[in-house]
Amino acid sequence: MGWEEWLISTIARALAYGTPLLWGTLGEVYAERSGVVNLGVEGMMAIGAFSAFAVAQSTGNPGLGILVAAVAGGGAALIHAFLTVTLRANQYVSGLALTMFGLGLSGLLGRGWEGVPLKHPLPAITVPYLADIPILGPMLFQNQSIITYLGLVLAVVLWVLLYRTRWGITLRSVGESPATADALGVNVYLVRYLAVILGGVLAGVAGGYLSVEYRPSWTEGMTGGMGWIVIALTIFVAWDPVQAIGGAVLFGALYHLSYRLQPWVAPELLKLMPYAAAIIVLAFVGLGGAQRRRGAPGALGVPYARGEK
Amino acid sequence: MKRVGPFVLERRLAPSRGAVLGISLLAVVLALLVAAVIFWGYGVNPWHAYRVIFQGTLASPQGWAEVVRRAIPLILCGVGLVVAFRAQFWNIGAEGQILAGAVAATGVALFSGLPDPWLLPAMFLAGFLAGAVWGMIPALLKVKLRVNDVISTLMLNYVMMYIVEWLVHGPWKGPTARGFAYSDLFPRAARLPLIPGTRVHWITLVVGVAMAIACAFLLSRTKLGYETRVVGQSQDAARYAGIDFLKVTLWVMLISGGLAGLAGAGEMAGVHYRLRSPAHISMGYGYTAIIVAWLARGSPLAAVVTALLFGLIFAAGDVIKVALAMPFQVTDVFNGLILFFLIGSELLMYWHIRWAPKRAASEG
Amino acid sequence: MRRSLKIAAIVAAVAGLCTLGLAAETVKVGFIYVGPIGDYGWSHAHNVAREICEQNFPWLETVYVESVPEGEVETYIDQLVRQGCNIVFTTSFGFMDGTYAAALRYPKVILAHCSGFMRAPNLATYMADFYQVYYLNGLMAGALTKTGKVAYVGAFPIPEVKRHLNAFAIGVREVNPNAEVHVRWIYEWFNPAAAKEATEALVAEGCDVFAFTEDSPTVVQVAAERGFPSFAHYSPMYDFAPDYVVSGQLVHWEAIYLDFLQKVHDGVYTNENLEHVDYWWLLSQKAVEVGAKPGMMINPVFEDDLKAYIVDHPVFGEISAYDLVMVRYNQMADPGVTFDPFQGPIYDRRGVLRVPEGMWMSVDSLITMEWAVEGVVGPWPGEP
Repeated sequence: MGWEEWLISTIARALAYGTPLLWGTLGEVYAERSGVVNLGVEGMMAIGAFSAFAVAQSTGNPGLGILVAAVAGGGAALIHAFLTVTLRANQYVSGLALTMFGLGLSGLLGRGWEGVPLKHPLPAITVPYLADIPILGPMLFQNQSIITYLGLVLAVVLWVLLYRTRWGITLRSVGESPATADALGVNVYLVRYLAVILGGVLAGVAGGYLSVEYRPSWTEGMTGGMGWIVIALTIFVAWDPVQAIGGAVLFGALYHLSYRLQPWVAPELLKLMPYAAAIIVLAFVGLGGAQRRRGAPGALGVPYARGEK
Repeated sequence: MKRVGPFVLERRLAPSRGAVLGISLLAVVLALLVAAVIFWGYGVNPWHAYRVIFQGTLASPQGWAEVVRRAIPLILCGVGLVVAFRAQFWNIGAEGQILAGAVAATGVALFSGLPDPWLLPAMFLAGFLAGAVWGMIPALLKVKLRVNDVISTLMLNYVMMYIVEWLVHGPWKGPTARGFAYSDLFPRAARLPLIPGTRVHWITLVVGVAMAIACAFLLSRTKLGYETRVVGQSQDAARYAGIDFLKVTLWVMLISGGLAGLAGAGEMAGVHYRLRSPAHISMGYGYTAIIVAWLARGSPLAAVVTALLFGLIFAAGDVIKVALAMPFQVTDVFNGLILFFLIGSELLMYWHIRWAPKRAASEG
Repeated sequence: MRRSLKIAAIVAAVAGLCTLGLAAETVKVGFIYVGPIGDYGWSHAHNVAREICEQNFPWLETVYVESVPEGEVETYIDQLVRQGCNIVFTTSFGFMDGTYAAALRYPKVILAHCSGFMRAPNLATYMADFYQVYYLNGLMAGALTKTGKVAYVGAFPIPEVKRHLNAFAIGVREVNPNAEVHVRWIYEWFNPAAAKEATEALVAEGCDVFAFTEDSPTVVQVAAERGFPSFAHYSPMYDFAPDYVVSGQLVHWEAIYLDFLQKVHDGVYTNENLEHVDYWWLLSQKAVEVGAKPGMMINPVFEDDLKAYIVDHPVFGEISAYDLVMVRYNQMADPGVTFDPFQGPIYDRRGVLRVPEGMWMSVDSLITMEWAVEGVVGPWPGEP
């Protein structure tokens, strides 16, 4: 087997495994851009995964399942928004609570849905014509999910929105300096609510992808810590939607390679590779003298109270 | 000042101790009411449920013992995190620091060959140092290379997890474990005494409370404590005041990681007596301790109390699982609910509500 | 007539009550699981068995606790005993220390620990093992592979999984001497995403038949997506890929539990004579079954392929893979077992003779097996 095969399978798998990471990260990027950290991604993904499966199984429509997952994820995020924006609660603690709550609730409701395959999973697609291109075809266009492609498109759209439109400026200004934005007539609370809810919607889709496409069935705890990777990726990609593609694919590739390389490298070392790599890359970025604050929103984690200060 | 009907709301800068306690209690009661709905929906009479939980935890000495035992690692980690959070260092990594301490304690217990009386003190010392080292790595990364503390501490949890996994499958796999991934059992001298009839390894508890007192003193009465508070309030202010940011951060994480390491050593010497799969050692204590520390509002002494609260919640969860035969996820749901209400109520503490019909209000 | 029967039944019952002290009260049994009962693997299987026991014995009351961390088992035994359990089953190796300690503290309570080796007068051990089943699965896998590469996704590199993997590889090589078994470890008992990516890595390596140890149907699903046959693990996974699941391993813990509980009820087992009670139950005791769902040993979809695959066997001469599976099954399933997969001579992959010609392995050496047989390709942590 030549290098082509390695390249093809690594990238193809990186995309598949990276898809939920990408969706989750895009959502968290937007939430954090508005100044709200949401550590509840794991919980929102779990809720999304369960609701997608339950709906897809009872209606036979996986697309509807994904939609409901989006709504459920958004609903879960609404709790976080209410607590942290309106009640100005500590964002870290609220997020942790949301993770517990989401994992617990999905597991509780999911009793009785376990151990059955999804009758109609979201089909994998192979793009006509493009799939026949040598190397690129099997790498990118065979047996991939529609959600993967949507995620890639969404990343670009969200990037354009963030950097090239008035909405984006508004969002960033709320995250940088809510008081200034407020003075300019921006409804800080509304923007933060919307951003946090969008984060939940995307995390919900990420969870739905897991249960109706990636592995079409439901088991409690099936998110397996992906939500935490999302938190790390968000910082890793410097709160940039397009870089999120790179981060998710890189992490997906490392994850895949940690199984591929087992005959040559000790499996335990490979398992910790993706996590260690995240730190090492950031350290190198720092070593390279990138002293600018890599996109971290100025008011990240700070509740905003109108008329104070 | 705001007027809502006949009430007047006044904002205050710092909530009184009474308000904090009263409103927190109210929040817990509200959460329990919502949880009652879940019990009821699950076909369990909520009144019966709460009675069973009470009987299983607070109404018996064994129940209390379990509450305290579950609180021990939370006290140590929670106190450490209070210190870190005071300096605005977001240490999400207590989980990995616990494991670092557990590894070091195991190393000493099994391989140091120290004379028996020195074994336990050496285990605690090694645990402290290992946790401290594991905590100071992200501190260095943050100050020197501007690596975000949330990401580095979180990632290091996973790294340490797999190191433990490697140890128990590889070099430290015990000859007496028959190939299973466990180290050998610790010798007797490496095990902590328990309070008879319970599983409380009281020495770790004493260490934890002592550390809480020491940290409270450190934060309020020492130069380092002062510097920590300044760094926590504003890095710019700290710079103007000529405070060495690197030194303070390293000290803070030495303490924070070290205490988590002590917790790990205590769990090994008091509960497990052998190194095993990492998830069964740290058990999420490091993450729960974040909440413990936050609820303590910057006070190491209060962290002892909030740790006990979570010890109670865990012990109650055990009772729910066994006595009420409810799925284990119920505990998570309850934890989540209680937290939602607790943090949601925080804002209330800053408002003083006064009964003041229109006529009286005009005076104020 | 009917009345007299009734009276006879009552008399018998009363007599029974008088003779057996235990029977007067219901037996209350606690089960402690390490995972969630929804994991569709180990804990799930124990829980299914618990339900069957409860249906079978009217005098039996059961309670269970799931997702118990290893270090917490003593606490849970305490609670179960306080609730009136007189028998407690702890179902994970990691519970051994705690169970043993509890056995010393509660001499009146009967305890049984699954997969461990420490016993006491009131503490028995038990295990239903799959190695024979994996061997039979291996025979089928060796016949079905076209690339000569068979895949195995392993949970942890511990003797239990290594034993199963080795038995599987011995089966594969018996029908296909040049075939290889490629291994990947995921270091989790339950992690669907890890199982999926490990499977994909093995697909990329050219494997075309899949077996595994992980508590979810992930490997079966992924293999089916790629059009490859697979073997189910632990629970009935036939429904997850009816066209691709060849066979698998099914467990019937109830066989052990029913036997044990009946003997306790009859007064055969007491809290004073369990020191040497160690169940090591296999095919012949019907504690395990070959198949992807109960009653279906080989998926009919694959019958023709297996019958068409002819092996030149040193013992049976020209024989189809299908017939070989049946012959070997009968040899192992009959009460007088006449064959064992680990029948010498067996060399490990480093060339060391592990089982001499004509010998079988002792249970003790089976449960501490660390080496890898010839034909296993891939990492093997802890290889001697």
